[in-house]
Amino acid sequence: MFQELLSKLLDETAQHSLRLAGPELALTAGIVLLLLGRLLSFDRFVPPHWIALIATMAAFGLSLAVFYDANRSDPEFSNHSFTYFSGLMAFDKFTALVRLFLLLFLVFVLALTVLSGIPDRDDGPDFYTLLLGASIGMLLMCGANNLLMVFLGIEMASVPSYAMAGFLKGRKQGSEAALKFVVFGAGAAGVMLYGISLLAGMLGTGDFQEIGIRMAVLFGNGEGALTDPVRATAIRTLILAVVMVFVGFAFKLSVVPFHFWTPDVFQGAPAEVGGFLSVASKAAAFALLTRLVLALMAAGTTALQDVYLTLGIAVGVIAAITATFGNLAAYSQTNMKRLLAYSTIAHAGYMLMALAAMIVLQSGRIGGDAALGERSSHAVEGLLYYLAVYLFMNLGAFSITALIRNEIFSEEIEDYRGLGFQAPILCVGMGICLFSLVGLPPLGGFIGKLLIFASLFDAGYVHWSMWAILAIGGLNTVLSLFYYLNVLKTMYLSERPTGATTVTFPALSSAGLYVILVSAPILWLGIDVSLVSNAARRAAEVLFP
Amino acid sequence: MDTGTVLRNLLTLAWLLPLAGFVAEIYALQLRWSHRLSKAPAQLAVACIGAGFLCSLSALLYWGNATEWAALKPAEHGHHAEEHAGAEHAEAEMSPVDALHPAEPEAAADAEHTAVAHAAPVPKFYAGTFYKLAQFGPLEITLDWYIDSLTLVMFTMVTFIATCIHLFAMGYMKDELTEEYEDHQVHLPGGHHFTRPGRFHRFFAFLSLFCFSMLGLVLAGNIFQVFIFWELVGICSYLLIGFYVERHSASTAANKAFIMNRVGDFGFLIGLMILITSLGTFRFFDVENDGVEQTGLFSLIRGDDGKLDVSDDPSVTKSVVYLRDSHGHRLADGTTPRTISYLLLIAAGLGVFAGSIGKSAQFPLQTWLPDAMEGPTPVSALVHSATMVAAGVYLAGRFYPMFPPEVLLGIAYIGCITLFIAATIAVVATDIKKVLAYSTISQLGYMMLAIGVGGWAAGLFHLVTHAFFKSLMFLCSGSVIAGCHHEQDMRKMGGLRHKMPLTAYTMLVGVIAIAGLAIPGVGNALFGQALAFSGYHSKDAIVASALAFSELNPNPLHNILFITPLVTAGITAFYMFRLWFMTFAGQPQDEHVYEHAHENPAIMTVPLLVLSLLAAGCAIGGEDGWLYRLLAFSETVPAVERATSARVATIVLPSHHDVHDVHGTAGGMALLAAFAGTAVAYLLYCRKVVNPDDIRRQAGGVYDFLVDKWRFDTLYDVAFVRPCHIVASWCQGFDQKVLDVVLHTSAAITVVVSKWERTFDEGMVDGLVNLVGTSTTNFGRSLRVIQTGRLRQYVMWIAVGVVVLFVALFTALPK
Repeated sequence: MFQELLSKLLDETAQHSLRLAGPELALTAGIVLLLLGRLLSFDRFVPPHWIALIATMAAFGLSLAVFYDANRSDPEFSNHSFTYFSGLMAFDKFTALVRLFLLLFLVFVLALTVLSGIPDRDDGPDFYTLLLGASIGMLLMCGANNLLMVFLGIEMASVPSYAMAGFLKGRKQGSEAALKFVVFGAGAAGVMLYGISLLAGMLGTGDFQEIGIRMAVLFGNGEGALTDPVRATAIRTLILAVVMVFVGFAFKLSVVPFHFWTPDVFQGAPAEVGGFLSVASKAAAFALLTRLVLALMAAGTTALQDVYLTLGIAVGVIAAITATFGNLAAYSQTNMKRLLAYSTIAHAGYMLMALAAMIVLQSGRIGGDAALGERSSHAVEGLLYYLAVYLFMNLGAFSITALIRNEIFSEEIEDYRGLGFQAPILCVGMGICLFSLVGLPPLGGFIGKLLIFASLFDAGYVHWSMWAILAIGGLNTVLSLFYYLNVLKTMYLSERPTGATTVTFPALSSAGLYVILVSAPILWLGIDVSLVSNAARRAAEVLFP
Repeated sequence: MDTGTVLRNLLTLAWLLPLAGFVAEIYALQLRWSHRLSKAPAQLAVACIGAGFLCSLSALLYWGNATEWAALKPAEHGHHAEEHAGAEHAEAEMSPVDALHPAEPEAAADAEHTAVAHAAPVPKFYAGTFYKLAQFGPLEITLDWYIDSLTLVMFTMVTFIATCIHLFAMGYMKDELTEEYEDHQVHLPGGHHFTRPGRFHRFFAFLSLFCFSMLGLVLAGNIFQVFIFWELVGICSYLLIGFYVERHSASTAANKAFIMNRVGDFGFLIGLMILITSLGTFRFFDVENDGVEQTGLFSLIRGDDGKLDVSDDPSVTKSVVYLRDSHGHRLADGTTPRTISYLLLIAAGLGVFAGSIGKSAQFPLQTWLPDAMEGPTPVSALVHSATMVAAGVYLAGRFYPMFPPEVLLGIAYIGCITLFIAATIAVVATDIKKVLAYSTISQLGYMMLAIGVGGWAAGLFHLVTHAFFKSLMFLCSGSVIAGCHHEQDMRKMGGLRHKMPLTAYTMLVGVIAIAGLAIPGVGNALFGQALAFSGYHSKDAIVASALAFSELNPNPLHNILFITPLVTAGITAFYMFRLWFMTFAGQPQDEHVYEHAHENPAIMTVPLLVLSLLAAGCAIGGEDGWLYRLLAFSETVPAVERATSARVATIVLPSHHDVHDVHGTAGGMALLAAFAGTAVAYLLYCRKVVNPDDIRRQAGGVYDFLVDKWRFDTLYDVAFVRPCHIVASWCQGFDQKVLDVVLHTSAAITVVVSKWERTFDEGMVDGLVNLVGTSTTNFGRSLRVIQTGRLRQYVMWIAVGVVVLFVALFTALPK
């Protein structure tokens, strides 16, 4: 019996799981090599960033191969997700796409660290070990199919980030920020663990597929579920558990009121790390949250429709508050990284709006309007598109901040005065990123916002409050215009003060090429929508069978 | 490769070359392949546009060969056949089925086989999609191409004229080839003139960008794409008018042009929105997508027979137009037929035409064009007379199938009002370029009028001929201005033909062409038409259409549509010869100017010669000539028979036959008017029989009114600009008195609250925490170095956040 089980597990692992876990394995191999390199001292001949870059490229290639597999017309892959590693992980087009985003992003971040030289030769192996380790955690997050994996993935992504945040040794600000990050992260993780144990305890399983079935049994169908005292208690427990799990995610997404760490950490940490944390951990957390929410809603019990609707509106309200807070707080910032930190908070708000729209639409679908299934898949499509654009525009902003820092040794907006004419390529790139962050056409940010706002509009037919949130989202776009443009104003309309460092930044250098490579896709995503939106649509449709 | 692909490739090349040129030229200095004193950017621009011309010309010839010049043949069943024209003829002319599948080689082969037997079913157009930008549900945003003989002629015409003007500009703009250009028209305090580095390369970069945009506009296969390039030519025009941006007049003129065009574009956008909501597509032509036919705009509205399928409802507000496919079948969603409200179709047509009004400077948005003459003269020649302003007419022509008769009537009246107003102002203008500018507006009015009265081919015919002779005259005026050291006032000229004979006589060709003079009776052997330059033929066609229209329509008011252009033909001849006599004939008025005048180098005069040949001869043969037939071949709604419509007003659109009948009468009267105008101009300005100043004094009120350009600028200033300023000052007041106060108050409140919160933090929270155990305190003390209070507060927030969220959710949950 045990033998049989073991051989089955081995078979599955060997034939199936290992192939799908290829990217993670490649990154792990990279980490092992990095560590061995220090041990056996061959890191003098092979620079650590090359090891990291090759490992990441390999992971990217593998995930691209799997992505093509998932997108071919083979019915085995085409329209459902299947599990591997005995049900702990799930794989479908959605996972494949997010994984692709993450690894592409990792390649860009690695290239940036090479260009800006933030980990020096001695620290290289440490830094890249942490970076790759965090990335493995994020890859696990987007495929997690079990509450256990949720926790493991989030922690695996978080713990290396703490160390990276304080990576600039000897800088008081950095260490301080890292400590804050650790304490806050530990608190959030604790609360989330409580939530997970409540949920698993109530349902008796951690498996996402099982969760739906158990919930259907627990709450049943039909009216009156809320008046039944046993079920009412169960619902109370469920809400408490969901809120606590949400706190863990809110910490990762830096959603108000769990955002306090963000500005300090982003200001204290190097901009490269800031860029990495702001995009990658968000993308992974959103992928995981989408999956988790859908698992919790999979039961489709009409008894819980109102609960879902309330939760959806709550997420929407939190999203609106987050976006508004982030944008308002960004106004008075004088440090570019701190400004971008608040902008990151605001953008988490926008993306959370897509999730809110999805939950509300799904609750309407449970209420009997089957057509809403397609609309909720549009919400996820919008979220994915936004993530794709966000990848480039936020990374662009952070990396240009880092490149400017290398030129003028400052990250204060004040010191950017008149830079527009000395380093046009940097400032035009920054302009493209910031305009896209505002959401102006013809840049990608506009299309992303458009798709999310369209979903909110659709969700408004289920509950009016989504229209209110849409209005707040639109208003926020206007609010954000001013502080982003302030940066550009400083760059272009102010004179370079006499005595300031003169910057010469040739366009035809590897750094210039990097800026072009990062900012050109923003423009492309704003003009040619089809390619990415089709991939996102196919990925989103898998989640709504 | 089939014909469509070849044509597409050639025209795409012609279209994109100037873009490549633009990119290279605008970065000429940054990329260090050229320098400020080098003519290389101009040579590159000429090479690009010249190669574009060769591509366009070969496309035209290739198309002609592929269709066996079917377009030029209709002589057999042209107006002779019309007399016994019947239904078969109509079918032969339309052949929409062939048009639907132009790319199919079998169809093309079939066409060649049957060409001999019957009127050749040559495809009317070739069309397709370059690239799909995005798809939102059923709405596609695509880059399409649409090539018919009109596209080909426009391409050839635009690239040819642009090449000539580029060459001319190489000479005209040579002042800019300097590190320090002194702008004599910008006065700085202290009596200095403004100096700046020369902008030679930038001028040619803008010209190239303009050519790219204009060609894109012509090639566009859907109305949205037209809009994109429409705006692009708008921005190019803005950049070129404001080329001497330091001159206050130039920057103001650029702003004026841009803003007035926005007014028209607003209508254009409304039209686009109506079309997309009611019809769901922007495409002109039909395409097959995955086996499903997607009907384009033209087929939707005009079906297969070129007629509107309007419901019989007597009330116009309830009338609907049934949407049809290319076989003439009504389209339906399930069982309900797809329709568009008749009034909505009128609104869409008027909206799109509003765009044309702005771009073609028609009444009431005509005031920007004369000011646009602030730009360098080659720009005036290319952008503001020959091509861009004609884009409005081109759009009206391209979009003709979408216009119901009521809209056409509107177009006719707008054109009629414009051509008269502009001609009267031109009579009193003294700036040589301003006269030409007003004459441009007036001629554009003629074209609009022609399209409005159903003379589609006549309007576009005039568009092409006008482009040649007007660009010629602008270049001549540029030559005069350059020769007289930037003197533009005609009152200071005179007798210049002795100094610059080439310019003078090429200009005379243009003047005769626009005035429409001809030698009746002296037929030319080939076509039996009067011997005349191009303008005579095209204006003749327009006046004939107008006469046919006014005769057929019972409403006597519509006679204006014939009388006005007839009278204006006389005025046109008068003011154009006035210009020529004042500038080139008679005695020199200003010795200083005359002394220094000189003929320009060959690079400027050769384009004049080439253009004058075309201005004289391009319309040879009139309506039996090649140009007219080429254009008429593309007529999307052929006027084979009279079309009567009596919904909002009774409107009868004349057929070709009707127009042909009155051709002789109309032509004779127009010629008479032209001779009269010429004679008056000769007597007044050459023989000086009466001193023009006396007439000016006699008719003082009218003269001032005309000099003030019918006081439109004053009217707009009072009606729009000043109210705008007033509202703006109100808004500013509101901003300062109300919004700022609110903001400052809220900022003050925030400061107070945060101070209070700090006290609370330091006093209450920290104090509370400090009470907890010595170990905590000791640990806390070690952490205090790094802002203990706040870190603790952070973590506390997690707990508070969870509790608050839970309580809030639980209370919000419906019971």
